[in-house]
Amino acid sequence: MPHNSLFLKKIAFSFFATMSPLTTQTQALESFLEKHQSLQQLIASNPNLNNHWKTFFTSLAKLGKNDIVDRVKEIGRFLKENGVTYNIYGDPQGNNRTWKLDLIPNLVDADEWRFSEAGLIQRANLFDLILKDIYGDRRLIKEGILPMEIIYNHPGFIRECCGIKLTGKHNLITYSADMARSENGKIWILNDRTQAPSGAGYALENRLAMARVVPELFLGMKVEKLSPHFGALHNALIAIAPQQKRNPRIVILTPGPGNETYFEHSFLSSHLGFTLVQGDDLMVKDNYVWLKTMGGLEQVDVILRRVDDAYCDPLELKEDSQLGIPGLLQAVRSGNVSIANPLGSSVVENPGLIPFLPAVSRFFLSQELLLPTIASWWCGQPKEKQYVLDNLSTLVVKRIYRDSMNRTSVDATIMSKERLANLKQKILANPHLYVGQEKVHFSSSPSLTEGILKPCNALFRSFVVSDNGTYTAMPGGLTRTSEDKNDIIISNQSGGYSKDTWVLSNNEQTPAGNKKEQDFLNRNSQWYKSDYLPSRTAENFFWVGRYAERVLGTARYLRTVMQYVDEANRSGITNNQPLIKCLVGSLMVYTHYYVGLDDKQYKKKLAAPWNLLNDVLLNEQQAGTLSFNFASFNRAVHSERDQWSTDTWRVLRETEDAWKNTKKLRKNSHYKLLNEIDRLITGLMAFISLNRESINREQGWILLDTGRKTEQMLLLITMLKAALVPINDEPIAYVMHEALLKSNENLVNYRYKYKAHLQMHLVLDLLVLDPNNPRSLLHQLERLQVYIKGLPKTTTGHKLSQQERCLLEAYTLLRLAEVDQLSQPDLTTKTHHNLDVFLGRMNDLIKGISEGLTKTYFKHAQKQQQLISRG
Amino acid sequence: MNYQIIHTTRYRYNQTVSLCHNIARILIRDTDNQHCHHSEVSFTPQPDIINEYEDFFGNKVIYFAIQHEHRELSVTVRSMVEKNTVATKVGNLFDNLPWEEARKIILQPGYKHTDARQFIPVTKATTPTPEIVTYALQSFTVGRPIIEAAHDLMTRIFTDFTFDNTFSTIATPLQEVMDAKKGVCQDFAHLAIACLRSVGLPARYVSGYLETVPPPDKQKLVGMDASHAWFEIYVPEHRWLPFDPTNNMIPAQQHITIGWGRDFTDVSPLKGVVFSSGKHDLKVSVDVRRVG
Repeated sequence: MPHNSLFLKKIAFSFFATMSPLTTQTQALESFLEKHQSLQQLIASNPNLNNHWKTFFTSLAKLGKNDIVDRVKEIGRFLKENGVTYNIYGDPQGNNRTWKLDLIPNLVDADEWRFSEAGLIQRANLFDLILKDIYGDRRLIKEGILPMEIIYNHPGFIRECCGIKLTGKHNLITYSADMARSENGKIWILNDRTQAPSGAGYALENRLAMARVVPELFLGMKVEKLSPHFGALHNALIAIAPQQKRNPRIVILTPGPGNETYFEHSFLSSHLGFTLVQGDDLMVKDNYVWLKTMGGLEQVDVILRRVDDAYCDPLELKEDSQLGIPGLLQAVRSGNVSIANPLGSSVVENPGLIPFLPAVSRFFLSQELLLPTIASWWCGQPKEKQYVLDNLSTLVVKRIYRDSMNRTSVDATIMSKERLANLKQKILANPHLYVGQEKVHFSSSPSLTEGILKPCNALFRSFVVSDNGTYTAMPGGLTRTSEDKNDIIISNQSGGYSKDTWVLSNNEQTPAGNKKEQDFLNRNSQWYKSDYLPSRTAENFFWVGRYAERVLGTARYLRTVMQYVDEANRSGITNNQPLIKCLVGSLMVYTHYYVGLDDKQYKKKLAAPWNLLNDVLLNEQQAGTLSFNFASFNRAVHSERDQWSTDTWRVLRETEDAWKNTKKLRKNSHYKLLNEIDRLITGLMAFISLNRESINREQGWILLDTGRKTEQMLLLITMLKAALVPINDEPIAYVMHEALLKSNENLVNYRYKYKAHLQMHLVLDLLVLDPNNPRSLLHQLERLQVYIKGLPKTTTGHKLSQQERCLLEAYTLLRLAEVDQLSQPDLTTKTHHNLDVFLGRMNDLIKGISEGLTKTYFKHAQKQQQLISRG
Repeated sequence: MNYQIIHTTRYRYNQTVSLCHNIARILIRDTDNQHCHHSEVSFTPQPDIINEYEDFFGNKVIYFAIQHEHRELSVTVRSMVEKNTVATKVGNLFDNLPWEEARKIILQPGYKHTDARQFIPVTKATTPTPEIVTYALQSFTVGRPIIEAAHDLMTRIFTDFTFDNTFSTIATPLQEVMDAKKGVCQDFAHLAIACLRSVGLPARYVSGYLETVPPPDKQKLVGMDASHAWFEIYVPEHRWLPFDPTNNMIPAQQHITIGWGRDFTDVSPLKGVVFSSGKHDLKVSVDVRRVG
């Protein structure tokens, strides 16, 4: 083999010699190269690609040095704004890391692609046949082609799935393979993915980013389009719908926002028009699967799953799983729901099969494998085990299944003696779980990372989908790179860049023509449409609305209090202590900051107002603070990420980034802090108004606004309580009234309307009873009334629901209220007692509305519990 | 010999349950020496859905779901079973087959012992600790006949351990049982299986019943007045031999097999998922008596 690769390199150089020198056209790129490196060296490994690389680098050089640097930044910005992220489990930097994309794609020429494509399709067919056989007659085992241990001892072999008849010609709907080129240009398969292959969404997003940011680089390249693949996926899912339904309800089952590829789940959901669901959004009833929506249960026909099979049904599979749907397998057995890929398909994601694949291919297809497999030895056989043990330090060792605790592959060629001995022990203890594999040296691909043009190892994942009785492969895919030559196990879990993958066509006109990728994505108009939002989405909208207002309310009141305290400090008024205490005290009530403080601690806090104000501003660990509320808001927004428009995302990102910087500001720069609060308020207001126009479902906006109104009322009630219930001396009372109006943006309104000195009963009139003031309790309650009337009716007969009951009482209470009576001081309690009682009842009623809505429409309250009897 | 078996499981919930899914393995399968003539299951409340099928091991499964509000669930199965009067034969051909030889035969390439070989890998409930391996090797000494070694293991567990139904739960790890030398039939069966698998032999878990009301002249056997459990070892060719470490006896006439699996989780009599935020309590009763 080394001889061969040398030979190819020679061809490469002689080939170059006959071409015009690359350097004259690509001088602009020289500053990106490391010493002693040349472009030729970077691209020498595959002579078939030389011409393409020349075209590419010429286009790249034309951009000029500065523009290249700008475009790299632009790609980063584009991905960030589109919220392209992946999560790393246990990452101290938290979730939502931005995806990294290299400006230089991975190129695959037409001949190489034709060859790989045929090989991939053959392999998909083969795995489909193996899967059917394992869960059917098990002829491969009976006839001695596969040793039983490779299947039976693999945790992916789910006995509960045996004998289930599935709809459609194929059981395996999607298949993925990781491929790499060896130094002699040969394509090798490194991993097979058959359970819930991820990456196709990232591949498409990479393409959209490239097409947007560096369209010039596509010039003269005839790059195959990716989007038809998603049309094929859509058709494949329709094809497996039970009873050949023509317009089936398809959902994507995700483990949730904490999953590493959650971005992709929501990306696919919005591009394919499938509802994104988590386990507890679905339920099994009457042997069917149902989605919980605002309007009740809706039948689900097809599930595209991103949850590992063992986690999908806590009744029959992993009992403590919270990610699945109890009873799902019963619905599958009854033929009422189809899952892609079917439960149990992880058994063929199994390196133990590799040494036996050529024989399986001959058995089922009477064909040799088109794509060669890397020489592998399964240790469950005595001779093979001995070979692996004798040659361990030259091999890569793989376990036949993945688990979250350990790496599946280890490179024994770079192991210390100790680790080798350890590995040997493991193999000896459970030989049938291990496979030894020849180590192949892979060729590199030119990359531009961190400002340097250099060779990187590249792993290319391709995606195959069942298509009308055969399979088709996406012409392109997801390439990931690593600088470490030995790192054959490139994984995003350890960082690294991705690349767009360009499959180059020979045809004058690619089948996709000049259409843009986007044109394909939006063409399918016969999607299943539902009148109702899924319960989870509804609940998230509601909470996004509530948290948004909580952030705004806290920000405004905090700003007002900070301004007063600042002014009082600077104006040198000597006797300002009572006022400051009163203001800061009311802020503590408003933010519930006082909860858990004893008398001494409370007084201590009051004595150092700026420390307290900073804490209410920035302490993310303390419930009720601005930072805490903003973090809650962000979490709610991210868990419904496919609902926000691109513009909305940009606003969110900018606000988030600005807030991150605020945390770094010096605590005593009050002026700057106030500016940052202003920016946060502007950002949130922009978020809210953008949504009014861009949420594509009417119900979504209604719930978001219902959440807002509910929260605004609760906040206003708390603020009125904090500011007006205590009886204060006249000058302090005046400031409290002013602060109250100011933070509700009603000071100007008051002066215009009453043309009077600030008086309590007028303040109440404006903030509680004025139907024309959008900030008043009455106005907001009236909005809420309209919204709740518009929600789907769930009770039968004339009985009022909890929310209707609370609404009616609150409305009556408000309409009957009289400001004179409310502002009556009570001498025994030394408070405005009537107001206190009134606000207390209003608070309970508004909370009752929120509870009622939760019970009626959101319904995630009841937890699943496991029952088990020993006898 | 005919037996009538009445097996009742009852859950009481503190709060209303609106939906529950359950899997029951309480219908008795036929074996070489028993035939189930008749069985009848009654539920309260009546389930909305009942599916019956056979699992991978050939055990009979009932899935049922109650989709309306309830505070109590009870399942009663009445079975009539005939045990063959022919005593379980302990074959003589392989009586003296050393366990290492048996292992070699079982592991020979080919399809013949495939079904048995799936009972060699350990499961979560049958994972041996080093101490358990040592315990196993005291019975499985070099060259000892497999049946004799298994019999010895059964007797040692019976002698070394005390039956105590207050000590362990389903989740108790084997090592704790080993440390305390206490447990119930499930623990003893799991322990024996862990021992057998640790020396590379196939062993399976059997769920079943024990005669609870003995005839006047016989002593009552030890059990939980609930369902019982024991283990079986595989002896080439194609024979599974049962051993009951709780009673130190070879199950024959007084043991009725419901089904088998790799461990308890494959054949638990009743398991389920309920949607409720409250607690529950559980009562099981079993009555097995001779008739006719």
